[in-house]
Amino acid sequence: MMISCREITKSYSKGSHLVTPLENLSLEVPRGEFLALMGPSGSGKTTLLNLISGIDTPTSGDLEIDGENIAKFPRKQLTKWRARKVGYIFQLYHLIPVLTALENVELPLLITSMSRKERRRKAEAALEVVGLSDRSHHTPSELSGGQEQRVAIARALVADPALLVADEPTGDLDRESATRILELLRSLARDHEKTIVMVTHDARAAAAADRTLHLEKGKLLTEDPNLVSI
Amino acid sequence: MLPLSYALRNLFRDKSRLIQTVGGSALVVLLIMAATALNGGMAGVLSASGSPRNAILIGTGSEESIQRSEVAAQLGGIAEAGIPGVLSALGTPAASTEIHYMSFLEAKDGTRGQGLFRGVTLRALLVHPEVRLLEGTFPGAGEVMVGRLAWRKLGIAEEKLQVGSVVKLDGSEMRISGIFAAPGTVMESEVWAVLGDLYMLAQRDTASCVVLRMEEAKDFSEVELFSQQRLDLELTALRESDYYSALGAFYRPLRVMTWITAGLVAAGAIFGGFNTLYAAFASRIRELATLQAIGFGRGAVFFSLVQESVIACLAGTLLASVIALVFLDGRTIPFSIGAFTVSISPQVAIAGLGTGILLGVLGAVPPAIRCLKPSLPKALRS
Ligand SMILES: Nc1ncnc2c1ncn2[C@@H]1O[C@H](COP(=O)(O)OP(=O)(O)OP(=O)(O)O)[C@@H](O)[C@H]1O
Ligand SMILES: [Mg+2]
Repeated sequence: MMISCREITKSYSKGSHLVTPLENLSLEVPRGEFLALMGPSGSGKTTLLNLISGIDTPTSGDLEIDGENIAKFPRKQLTKWRARKVGYIFQLYHLIPVLTALENVELPLLITSMSRKERRRKAEAALEVVGLSDRSHHTPSELSGGQEQRVAIARALVADPALLVADEPTGDLDRESATRILELLRSLARDHEKTIVMVTHDARAAAAADRTLHLEKGKLLTEDPNLVSI
Repeated sequence: MLPLSYALRNLFRDKSRLIQTVGGSALVVLLIMAATALNGGMAGVLSASGSPRNAILIGTGSEESIQRSEVAAQLGGIAEAGIPGVLSALGTPAASTEIHYMSFLEAKDGTRGQGLFRGVTLRALLVHPEVRLLEGTFPGAGEVMVGRLAWRKLGIAEEKLQVGSVVKLDGSEMRISGIFAAPGTVMESEVWAVLGDLYMLAQRDTASCVVLRMEEAKDFSEVELFSQQRLDLELTALRESDYYSALGAFYRPLRVMTWITAGLVAAGAIFGGFNTLYAAFASRIRELATLQAIGFGRGAVFFSLVQESVIACLAGTLLASVIALVFLDGRTIPFSIGAFTVSISPQVAIAGLGTGILLGVLGAVPPAIRCLKPSLPKALRS
């Protein structure tokens, strides 16, 4: 299993009372699966994604990713773990505006001990995978939304992490760009053995995944096979 | 580690903010450099003016001001005969009887200014070997020689104080016989006349002091002994260097004031910097969180923010240094007993550089801490 969550709970204290966006949630995701997470707003999708990707830590429960239980990792260790294991794709791309596409993609490699030349080569290869080699010296403001998201995907996969997480990656894109992004994610799962967890509101986007899970009020609903088939 | 280019390019995201940071830091750095240069210049001229080998015999009670002291006109002769260890050059003892007299000098065009006049004999040159003529001759009766910075102290145009010019000293016309240098000392801003003329002009029959140049600095004890034995002469012996450093102490409050002013402006600039940088960093909270999500440590992001601020302040330091070199370096500043030349020395440059770096670090640390405080999930959502 790439991801195995066992009875994880996440709660925040908000003033005097406790908010629990996730409660006793268990989930298993095999390596190479492309999983879609759906659910109404506030159901805990982002919270779950943050836990799986080591952005946040659970209040209780075990969280094993690729054989490592990250639930109790201290902050510093978690940061290092993220650099190695996870690639992030955000709804609003979150590219660094002052860096070019190539520099944005190169960013995660700066944490490694890779030589400058090798970093360049890898970043160029990643841009090639997303089909944007001809835009490598453009800054984000000179790219369309769809192109920005593809740069963001190149940045997420450049360090070759086993896990990719995406929070509504097509939420801000037109249909054509969205289709292209989804195809890209599919091929990353299929051809590159990446495990992908994608949050989406869009049933069409979810249809691109191998499996769809529904979250409601912090709990997973049992799988509905009707929603998975195209 | 985030690349330097990230910090550099972030600076240019908001031009007006950049101008504000660079300008503000330049102002503070310039102020610190000016304060350091002025204080250093004054301290330098005062410490260069006194030699530890020179002893001054001065009237008891006037230790703080030679101008107010009175000693018998014959003291020079008595002292050189009674004190062992006085340097002698070709049989002439290095004992200079002098009158120090504060008065006004008037140029041909009517401009006048206050300065220090020194009545001397040729022996003054044995006692003050740093004095050398640049032009003309040592004065005779009815003549004066002027230090090369005297014009600055007197506030009279330099071309009015040339060899051959006629000036008025207390109403008497005197011809300028020469111009002298005494590098780095207050003597350079003085006007020297022959002792006899000053007895008349100052209407006095006593001298101000006798300056003795000793074989060795430790021979000062002989002068001290002499002043203690000859109680009848009511003398005090001072090392010349001590006399001038005591004068320096007189300017302490002024120096403290300059530092307080500079400190207040710097504090104001740092608080202004907090706001500017806080606004700059706060607009990037999500970006800073993204960098951490990617795997950069909080320390690396923090370092980059501080780096960004330090680069801006170093640009300000560079600007301030150029301004200081163009407008301050080499400028002559008059003060009560003389004038000194401001120099942007390596120490001044280091003070400026230190200030620039400090401003950059101090201004960035609190805003950076504040902007890196929110948890990652929260910051990513913002
Ligand atoms: N840091 C926090 N402090 C307090 N409550 C939080 C925090 N983060 C999330 N929550 C709460 O947890 C619940 C789930 O939030 P989450 O962001 O996971 O929802 P979501 O399913 O991603 O919603 P959306 O579809 O709108 O993005 C919400 O009620 C939210 O208010
Ligand atoms: Mg969400």
